[in-house]
Amino acid sequence: MDRKEILEGLIEVLKTIRTIDPAKLENVTEETDFLADMNAPSTELINIAVKVEQKFDVEFEDDDIDNLGSKVKDVIDLIILAKERG
Amino acid sequence: MPVAGRKVAVVGMGGAFPTCTGVADFGEKLFAGKSMIRSWDKALAYGKQIRSTVAGFITEEEMDLEAVYNVASAEYPETYIDKKGRIPDINLATADMGSIWAMIGAKESIEMAGWTEAETRSEGTGVVIGSGGAGHVILRNAWHGFFQEGRKSRAAGSHTVDRAMVYRDAANVSCYIKNRGVCESIGSACATGLGNIGYAYRLIKFGLQDRAICGGVEGTSLETFIGFDGMQVLSKGFAPEESSRPFDLQRNGFVCSFGGGIVALEEYEMAKARGAHIYGVIDEYFNNSDGDGDMFAPSFAGQHRLWAGLAEGARIKPDVVKVHGTSTPIGDIIELLCVTDVLGEEGYHVSAPKSQFGHMLGAAGSVEFIAALLMLENQKVSPCLNSSTLNTEPEAFQLKEGWTGPVKPVSEYRHLLPQETIEKEINQIVCLNYGFGGTNSAIAVSRDV
Repeated sequence: MDRKEILEGLIEVLKTIRTIDPAKLENVTEETDFLADMNAPSTELINIAVKVEQKFDVEFEDDDIDNLGSKVKDVIDLIILAKERG
Repeated sequence: MPVAGRKVAVVGMGGAFPTCTGVADFGEKLFAGKSMIRSWDKALAYGKQIRSTVAGFITEEEMDLEAVYNVASAEYPETYIDKKGRIPDINLATADMGSIWAMIGAKESIEMAGWTEAETRSEGTGVVIGSGGAGHVILRNAWHGFFQEGRKSRAAGSHTVDRAMVYRDAANVSCYIKNRGVCESIGSACATGLGNIGYAYRLIKFGLQDRAICGGVEGTSLETFIGFDGMQVLSKGFAPEESSRPFDLQRNGFVCSFGGGIVALEEYEMAKARGAHIYGVIDEYFNNSDGDGDMFAPSFAGQHRLWAGLAEGARIKPDVVKVHGTSTPIGDIIELLCVTDVLGEEGYHVSAPKSQFGHMLGAAGSVEFIAALLMLENQKVSPCLNSSTLNTEPEAFQLKEGWTGPVKPVSEYRHLLPQETIEKEINQIVCLNYGFGGTNSAIAVSRDV
């Protein structure tokens, strides 16, 4: 699964987060910031992480989430890392 | 302490009422003598595990809400969609069902009150709302995922605290209306709804706030229902509309119901000055405890002291006494005998609205306070449904040594218990509610004249 496919899957996840304005999801890139660009409440990052775990069938370590950045690329990096760790 | 000359007006109301589309529909059903109690499919689904299967419940669809379920649990409503667009998604994300009803009730109350955005968001506006139960629907699923399925704590999402904490209803309403005054919850079991209104009344009467959004809610929850079902205290064996029968000889328990009642209170002169419609003026609120160490049993002496305390702060001469009247074997008659002992046997009527919609637990006091406001507004007394047969013999406790109350059987008070709506001049109503722990509460509300 390449980064583009992961990004598409991630956008599908973000569409299910009711507190994110769907209009903000139209031009998402890896540099998009969940907090600054999507106005997502910081508590929603956990919900995004949980939904990503379910969608991509991976499990993150607690430290991964503690240290997670707020950009789309940070989440994609983490998904790839988690998949490599198996 | 009370500030001399400072009075408190009720200027708005709203909420969630079983089978009703809103306050207006609630009022119509109330005076049409209709029952809001139905057979509950969610209880029936558990077959022999559950004893009582009737309730005054409200579904998500009936409130124009749609649950969004968590992918890990088909029973866990991760958040809700408001199909009418009343509540923003950001507020829905932090709310359980009861908190959403509280926000809807707050919105309706503020619209009815006609408060400006500046007034609503001022330091003079407080929020005081509570529930009888915890956020059971949220907690059950969060705990099940962690303890039974071995999931990470985060699997239930990041909103289990805000959606289940004790003062979630008040907190959600405060975040929604953005007031800058107090935000608190009073918890007093089945007296919660009235307790929150009483506390908010004091905040205004004592000069601490000018306005308050207050009341109680109890979101539909089978988890809450089964707690009472397990105590064997719920009504059983009647058709749904006949299940709640305060004072009737055949009564065998209360009907567990759900709902929400929110009211807008405002300092009287402020409300008057801006030409607000005043639905009632609160004369006094009083609450106390039985002091007999009994968690459950109603206390004749405790209720007597309740009336005495209420009368210390205001002239009490009600045209209607809105009783707690749950339809349980002991509670109803002790309450009625205390009322007659205090007020005499003539000159007022007793209204028992739980006969129409059951016992809404933490919302009971506030929804029934709204029923009382509607009685004042319409000059009608709602009927005591199903009180068809009154005991012609004294109750066993009336014959015991040490009983100091009236010894007449309840059938002697038939004239106080209308079975159909009656129209009459109503200037003052006293509302009574009690709760586990031996807590008693009373409020007197009058027509603005």
